[in-house]
Amino acid sequence: MIEYAWLIPLIPVAASLIILFGAKEDPRSPLPWIGIGAMTVCLALAVSILWGFVSGGVALPYEKNWDWFSLATTIGGQSFVWTMPVGVLIDPPAAVLLFVVSLVSLMVQVYSIAYMHDDTRYKRYFAFVSFFTAAMLGLVVSSNILVGFMCWELMGLTSYLLIGFWFEREGPCEAQKKAFMTTKLGDSGLYLALLLLYAKTGTFQLTQLHQHFALGLVAPAAATVAAIGILLGAMGKSAQAPLMVWLPDAMEGPTPGSALIHAATMVAAGILVVSKLYFVFLAAPLAMEAAAWIGLITAFMAAAMALVSFDIKRVLAFSTVSQLGFMLCALGCGGYTAGLFHLTTHAFFKALLFLGAGSVIHSVHTNDMRQMGGLSRRMLLTFATMTVAVLAICGVWPFAGFYSKDMILVAAWNHEKWIFWPLLLTALMTAFYMTRLLTLTFLGDDRDHERFHHAHESPALITAPLLVLAFFSLTAGMAVAHDGLAARLFPKPTLSVAADAAAATPSASVAASAANNPQVQTPDAEQELPDWLKFGIPGVFVPGAMLLAFFMYRGPKFEAAEGLRSAFAPIATLLDRRWYLDDAFLALVAFCDGVAALAFWIDANIVDRVFVDGWGLLMRIIAEISSFFDGAFVDAAVDGVGGLSTDLGVGLRSLVAEGQVQEYMMYAAIAVSLAATLILTR
Amino acid sequence: MLSLITWAPLVGALLVLLIPKENVKAIQGVGFLAAGVSLLASLLLILSFDRSTAGFQFVEQWSWIPSFNVSYHLGVDGLSFPLVLLTTFMSFIALIGSMGIKERVKEYFFWFLILETGMLGVFVALDLILFYVFWEITLVPMYFLIGVWGGPKKEFAAIKFFLYTLSGSVFMLLAILAMYFNNPARTFDMIEMMKAGAAWSPRFQEIVFLGLYFGLAIKIPAFPFHTWLPLAHVEAPTPISVILAAVLLKMGVYGLLRLCYQMLPAGFAWFLPALVVIAVINIVYGALCAMAQTDMKKMVAYSSVNHMGYCLLGIAGMTAAGFSGAVLQMINHGIITGALFLLVGVIYDRAHTRDLSAFGGLAARVPVYFGLMALTCFASLGLPGLSGFVGEFLCFLGAFPLWKWQTTISVLGIIATAAFFLRMIQKVFLGAFNEKWEGHMPDMTPRELLSVAPLAVLTVLFGVYPKWPLDLMNATVVALLRK
Repeated sequence: MIEYAWLIPLIPVAASLIILFGAKEDPRSPLPWIGIGAMTVCLALAVSILWGFVSGGVALPYEKNWDWFSLATTIGGQSFVWTMPVGVLIDPPAAVLLFVVSLVSLMVQVYSIAYMHDDTRYKRYFAFVSFFTAAMLGLVVSSNILVGFMCWELMGLTSYLLIGFWFEREGPCEAQKKAFMTTKLGDSGLYLALLLLYAKTGTFQLTQLHQHFALGLVAPAAATVAAIGILLGAMGKSAQAPLMVWLPDAMEGPTPGSALIHAATMVAAGILVVSKLYFVFLAAPLAMEAAAWIGLITAFMAAAMALVSFDIKRVLAFSTVSQLGFMLCALGCGGYTAGLFHLTTHAFFKALLFLGAGSVIHSVHTNDMRQMGGLSRRMLLTFATMTVAVLAICGVWPFAGFYSKDMILVAAWNHEKWIFWPLLLTALMTAFYMTRLLTLTFLGDDRDHERFHHAHESPALITAPLLVLAFFSLTAGMAVAHDGLAARLFPKPTLSVAADAAAATPSASVAASAANNPQVQTPDAEQELPDWLKFGIPGVFVPGAMLLAFFMYRGPKFEAAEGLRSAFAPIATLLDRRWYLDDAFLALVAFCDGVAALAFWIDANIVDRVFVDGWGLLMRIIAEISSFFDGAFVDAAVDGVGGLSTDLGVGLRSLVAEGQVQEYMMYAAIAVSLAATLILTR
Repeated sequence: MLSLITWAPLVGALLVLLIPKENVKAIQGVGFLAAGVSLLASLLLILSFDRSTAGFQFVEQWSWIPSFNVSYHLGVDGLSFPLVLLTTFMSFIALIGSMGIKERVKEYFFWFLILETGMLGVFVALDLILFYVFWEITLVPMYFLIGVWGGPKKEFAAIKFFLYTLSGSVFMLLAILAMYFNNPARTFDMIEMMKAGAAWSPRFQEIVFLGLYFGLAIKIPAFPFHTWLPLAHVEAPTPISVILAAVLLKMGVYGLLRLCYQMLPAGFAWFLPALVVIAVINIVYGALCAMAQTDMKKMVAYSSVNHMGYCLLGIAGMTAAGFSGAVLQMINHGIITGALFLLVGVIYDRAHTRDLSAFGGLAARVPVYFGLMALTCFASLGLPGLSGFVGEFLCFLGAFPLWKWQTTISVLGIIATAAFFLRMIQKVFLGAFNEKWEGHMPDMTPRELLSVAPLAVLTVLFGVYPKWPLDLMNATVVALLRK
């Protein structure tokens, strides 16, 4: 089936176009089922590839390229026509992500059938979702990083469209613009990194780039600059500090759309691109270190904000930012396997959390958790699946998050203890605020009786996807951690030439032998955590944090928590104001507007004056001088002395007014030209 | 064939003169016929255009003024042929847009067709005198087209445009004469001139370069000679704005490559550090000025300053990718900005204002218009998958190896471009519907659709598959850098 891998991104594109242009807008249009059908086909293809690899029937990486267009290019002073390839490169992580992305997208679309029905732009929503997924799938399979970048930007466009889906309101419009601009800011780093990589290697093909780095053909300084550029791109897309401002606002869009953005597409893309270009980072230790610290800082800052928020979607948005920080930190610490593993498990439980939150919001019509409570008695299925997701994200054994987060902590432990301890603290904060969310929403007493009374379980189209995702949130960790599969699915790239020559050769057999080469697969000799941490974290610390949250937020009024809040009021305010990052962002926008206004003022009042009016004045002066000579000498010579009968001043003014200036300029020009010619040639 | 393409509009213009001015239909018919002949003939040339050779094709040469060695010499290569196609195509599109012109139709079509001949002549001429004649011919119709059919300040805009560009071209003439007198062959033939160029002393080349550059920079328009453009655009009627942005500005960049680079290599190399600075200013400063606008048309006009900066940046890179990028960016900018001006015209026809804050929430009322506008704006801000990205990216790609910091700063321009286009979309189309326009905002008419839709199709096509335009120019661009 792998030879059809190139179809995977194209199928949803086709579906999207059919949905968009196939029929008139209709709140009950059957067209969305086309998107669901397309995604099912993609999922089937992805499953066959992944299963083929796991069972040994399919050799990865698989690469196939076609000619796209030819362009004239200059490398090393030589100009020639070069053909840009476009193609697919499926390595094991790509195979896993194909499965994850298409599964999550399929679940989101099924869920949306029920969630979005009767919306005036019902059909358009599904076209956007299909296109969004297609762009992500394109990034996953592309063998050409420029094509990957194009998909990446198209994802930016679709997230813009989805966030601002209800554009009649002010909030979504601001949020969509903010998302696009913030990610664009980061994208410019990636853009420059691509320019630099091409200038140094003359290719955009991932395998060839990898080869160049493996052979040491790229200077460390260039590698560092490129890696930092890529990191900037990832910081924008994956909402890392300080470019994280857009993601919490992005929940203005429809909730299932948020689920897609937060779980499988948009924010995952940043981590994915870092992992695809991981060899650049391996050649740039400084950038690796930067990634680790940025990840750590983001994870902590976002988790802290989640501690105080009462908006259910916002807490989830902060938790996404925080978890992405974990992934980036892992990648920076050299834990390639851990980072990608967590990306996978996170996709399942974060999609589940958002869809579950959507189910709750659908039922009680508010985002404010203070008006919820006790909903477990009304929405049992939603509650059960959400509990699975919460246990998974908290890292409770044997749920999916336990395995991947554990692996991240091990990577951090091996890399730098100063990263490990704050990261552990952040993991415990995660356990706290997620349990807080679960308690406030589902447990304890109902705080708003009216809303509680009307609450009801959602229809099957909503709960079925929840159950599927809950299944994977429960089992994905176990399955992948089992028998060293994680290292096989996410083999850490190396810069060793031997391994790389094999990986760079398109020949499947050589590549397969490389994939089976134990030297490549075995992660660096890593130490385990000390026993008291290894068992203490899942056995004592995490349950402790969860129990603390449960008892603090169990009651109807949660006085203890509120007391704590007023005791540390400045900190709470700081967190409520989101570390003042949004204010900084707004200040930046205002500053740019100011600069723009200044630029335009200069343009209208200085540049225009000097170069147009001033130029006109100069021309006039030349003309007057010229016509003075004309009158004084030429006319005099021709007509004799008596020719000066007319008033010279009046004549000049009329000359200028009648546009004869040009004629004089022409004479002046020709004269100067002849003079210049004579001078210069002698 | 090139003569047919070039002169068909002029013949049309003369025929228009013979038709009584009441007979609007016939005038329009002749106009379309003449522009259509040009368009069809140029499209036919695509079939026989040899993509593998760098030399001039379809050459026509007759003696014209033997005493000065001036000849009627036409020909196209990979550099000029795409621009010829752009001109015939955009002229036809602008003619469709001109169907809305109701007053003094006869004169309008007359001037318009003469303008087309002038523009085409600039791109096909291979003799400097011929080139200069065509270059000047474009001015006169433009003056009348802005001055008669323009907005409230049309006379001022027209005279400013006319005098300013004319004063630039005087220096161009001066430079051309200098080249003539220093050419051992004493010829105005451009191909001969390219051969003679290498023998000129660097000092001479530098001075002549400045003369040429002055004329070209005003046309491009390169900072600081760009201030005529926003005014001319704002006052010009919609189809003339389209022509101005899509074709007239390209004459400057074309001249920079054809005259400056090919004939004065040493002068060009000498000016390069300044050129890249001008390019960066055009990009960043142009985008910033656009950000400060409240008038949609003025904003688009400043975005042209920004986009022509990309062309300059690509050229300053002195690499094949940069040159390809510059030519491709010219084509794409012509298509995209042409569409933008047409679309701004659509809303102006309905509301008689172009003030950004006068609207709001139009997206739900005019979905087709919104879709096309969003597509064009995203193409203009360089969204991958649409044509704007490819040209822009190649310009950056070509400039980066030589000018790392300058290219890095230019990326700021891309961000600013995104900012002002998104703001425009938000202010005009999103948010709550401005009740003032209730009942005044029908969606696009078939004629408007007919003029914009082909541009939108090309925008997507060239964005996904830039092979077609690039194949036309590849051989020539490689040869340009090989010498």
